[in-house]
Amino acid sequence: MNFINKNNLIKLFTLSIILICFLSCKKDESEPTLQETEYDTFFNLHASQQGGQGTGQEISGTFTKFDFSTAQTTTSITEWDIAFRATTIIVNGGVSLETIDEPERTGNAGAYIANGTFNSIMEVNTSLIEQDSNTGYAIATGSGNGWYLYNSQEFIITPIAGKILVFRTRDGKYAKMEILSYYENAPENPDSATDTSRYYTFNYSYQPNEGMTTF
Amino acid sequence: MILNKKHLSTFFLIFCFFYVFSQDQEKMKTDSTNSEYLQEVIITATRTVRQLSSLPLPAQIISKKELETTNIIRLNDILNEQTGLVTTLDFGGGQGIQLQGLDSQYTLILLDGAPLIGRSAGTLDLSRVTVGNIKQIEIVKGASSSLYGSEALAGVINIITEKTKQINGASINFRTGTFNTNDISTNINYKIEKLRISAFLNRFNSDGYDLNENENLNTVEPFINSTLSAKLFYDFSKITSLLISTRYYTQNQDFVASESLKGKSYIDEWNTHIQLKHKYHEKWNSYFEFYATRYMADEFLNDSEGYRFSDNFFNQLMIRPEIRLTYNWEDKKVFTAGTGFNHETLQRTNFSENPVFNSTFAYLQYDTNPIDNLNIIIGARFDNHNEYKSQLSPKVALRIKLNNKLALKGSVGYGFKAPDFRQLYFDFTNATVGYTVLGYNAVNTAIPILEEQGQIANILVPISEFQGDLKSESSIGTNLGADYNLNSKIKFNINFFRNSIVNLIDTRVIANKTNGQNVFSYFNVNEVYTQGLEFDSSWDCCNQFKIKFGYQLLYAKDKETEKAFENGEVFARENPLSPSFQLEKNDYFGLYNRSRHMANIKIFYTIPKYNINANIRAIYRSKYGLIDSNANGYLDNYDTFVDGYSIIDIAFNKTFYDNYELGLGVDNVFDFTDTQNISNISGKIIYAKLNIQF
Repeated sequence: MNFINKNNLIKLFTLSIILICFLSCKKDESEPTLQETEYDTFFNLHASQQGGQGTGQEISGTFTKFDFSTAQTTTSITEWDIAFRATTIIVNGGVSLETIDEPERTGNAGAYIANGTFNSIMEVNTSLIEQDSNTGYAIATGSGNGWYLYNSQEFIITPIAGKILVFRTRDGKYAKMEILSYYENAPENPDSATDTSRYYTFNYSYQPNEGMTTF
Repeated sequence: MILNKKHLSTFFLIFCFFYVFSQDQEKMKTDSTNSEYLQEVIITATRTVRQLSSLPLPAQIISKKELETTNIIRLNDILNEQTGLVTTLDFGGGQGIQLQGLDSQYTLILLDGAPLIGRSAGTLDLSRVTVGNIKQIEIVKGASSSLYGSEALAGVINIITEKTKQINGASINFRTGTFNTNDISTNINYKIEKLRISAFLNRFNSDGYDLNENENLNTVEPFINSTLSAKLFYDFSKITSLLISTRYYTQNQDFVASESLKGKSYIDEWNTHIQLKHKYHEKWNSYFEFYATRYMADEFLNDSEGYRFSDNFFNQLMIRPEIRLTYNWEDKKVFTAGTGFNHETLQRTNFSENPVFNSTFAYLQYDTNPIDNLNIIIGARFDNHNEYKSQLSPKVALRIKLNNKLALKGSVGYGFKAPDFRQLYFDFTNATVGYTVLGYNAVNTAIPILEEQGQIANILVPISEFQGDLKSESSIGTNLGADYNLNSKIKFNINFFRNSIVNLIDTRVIANKTNGQNVFSYFNVNEVYTQGLEFDSSWDCCNQFKIKFGYQLLYAKDKETEKAFENGEVFARENPLSPSFQLEKNDYFGLYNRSRHMANIKIFYTIPKYNINANIRAIYRSKYGLIDSNANGYLDNYDTFVDGYSIIDIAFNKTFYDNYELGLGVDNVFDFTDTQNISNISGKIIYAKLNIQF
């Protein structure tokens, strides 16, 4: 009873060496290494606005710009992907609707809204991507049209579950976003009297690799 | 759960008490209750006098006796105690009735066979109807447009008032209770030879109540209302008679919108109904009817300086002449035919025009017993309207008596509701928020004006879509049931129903405004169904003691929503920081404001020896949803629901010296309130009643 004799052991050893070498060689070839997809939650992005909503004045105010590559808000004129003003979300691509204080588009960003859980949106359907235009934004505004529902009895904005915003960034990369709350510190049951609105909390994933449409 | 263990045990104790007490009295039983039951007749189901117990349609009657022993004073309260019926509130506080899971706007409300009007937001407020002069209330469930036309989609509730009497007499009824709520009624009957006159006067006032103590507003503001009705009956001969009835109702209520905005709201309503009955021949009867009614509601608000802030008016008129013939071909073979004309106008704030509706209608019905134990009713009605497509509403119903105990019945009918004035001509912009609501017919003119003013950011539905007509909402209602009489004391009744509705009218966004708000209009969009079963039972344990139990199971769903759940297109989130997840098909709860289960149990008890009657009534309603609290657009199992509840009422009456009756009672014994969700339940009410017959 001695299967593993000396001879076999040597063969096995040699085979292992070859295999290890082969596998590691393959690894070396696939350069450059891929950057990992970034996943994070952004808290309390403040998106202020002046006018509108029964004030009798036209809506105005600076959009709060967001850059996926730095995962930060920015005031740059060109280096931004998306921007927020109250419930309105615009992309840095297409043309301006020319509301007051609306920034010019300098990039090639676009967007669409997908239905699903955040994790279930694993690939971008690039054919659905639209840009802002002079008739409307890629992310439609108004209750029930885009990402939120407005409760007119309680005056509360709630993000619609299962609406995942998919973006192409200004430079052709992709990101997805799930808006979680429109109120400061994402309270469990927002109260229009005590909680401050226009503070976005959202989950997002950013695919930093050129041309990759998966997350 | 309000019906907790403690309450249940209290209820059970009272039940036992009644039961034990009743055992002593059993010796003196007679059979009078039973014969009374068999004689119950209903006229709403066929527009002829029919025995309720042999009817092929699901129907029920609330008797005068029940109204008197329960000491209820308003119509909404007595209807709320019936199987499958529940009072629901509209935005303006109007209390309507949900029937077979359909909204109150789909149930036609008749007063002595003629429709009540004044549905400013779809609901006809039933709390404006006093029960003081009601003889009985007839409820016919299932689509009934084959006789009644528009609105009779879920069913018909007909309030039958007291007839003029052969003897002179009068009565006074007074009830006073919590919230300084006082109701006083008087009835007078007078007869001179062939002329009979009756008059009824009711005055009802209350200080209202407040469920949210911290606010400036009351839940119900103080009000006072009066009803005056009079009937004149003249017997020309044995074959010809004339009945003229009129009713006038007026209400005056405080109207408070905020601390600084205060005013009044007024309602004025009158009805006139003239009926001439003539018998040509033993077999031929004719009825000539003329009905006219006007409903006016006005409200205003002044600011703290006394300047007028807002003014609203609503003024609806309806005129309806109608001729009806019945031909009794043979015994139990009756033809009914009728034709008439309906004229309606409405003047209202925020309307694009003062619309006029004219329609003509004709109906035919054949009620026959081809063989002894089979009854068949077939009928149809044709409505020709100046604004909508004409409607043909057929219906067929049959009842087979298998033996002395069991009868099966079934009916299929078509029901419709023509779009109301508001859905066509509304032109309203909210002054504080800035959104706009347009009636379907107002879109064509209103949108270009808004565009000219630069108020439209973009149009989502082109106005060319509004060229055709808004279609009537319509339904096919099916009812299948059985009557089972175990013996003369114990009776069961079960009915399975399904109402399948198409072209349900809903609002949708048609344009975005530059102020960030939307323009809404009305569309035929949804297909919904309501289905379930109704179960009723009664047990005449003995002459003194009667128990009734009723239950309704209900599934009310939107077909498109059902599909969205099936396709996995609906998601929810447990709290703001958790990711959303996909919902399953059975996570869809159904339409808003529908409870899966509703039940009632009533125990009536009489001790003739002491002229005492007492009763205890309980209603239960299981949880229901009012808002899409997790904002995914649908009512699902992860939304916040209004908890189920039960309410128990107790009443006790004793008659003295034949003509005096004293009553005491407590409504809502356990003082149930839900200040957040249910504003029409005020909490416990303790009252006393005095009735005097002259």
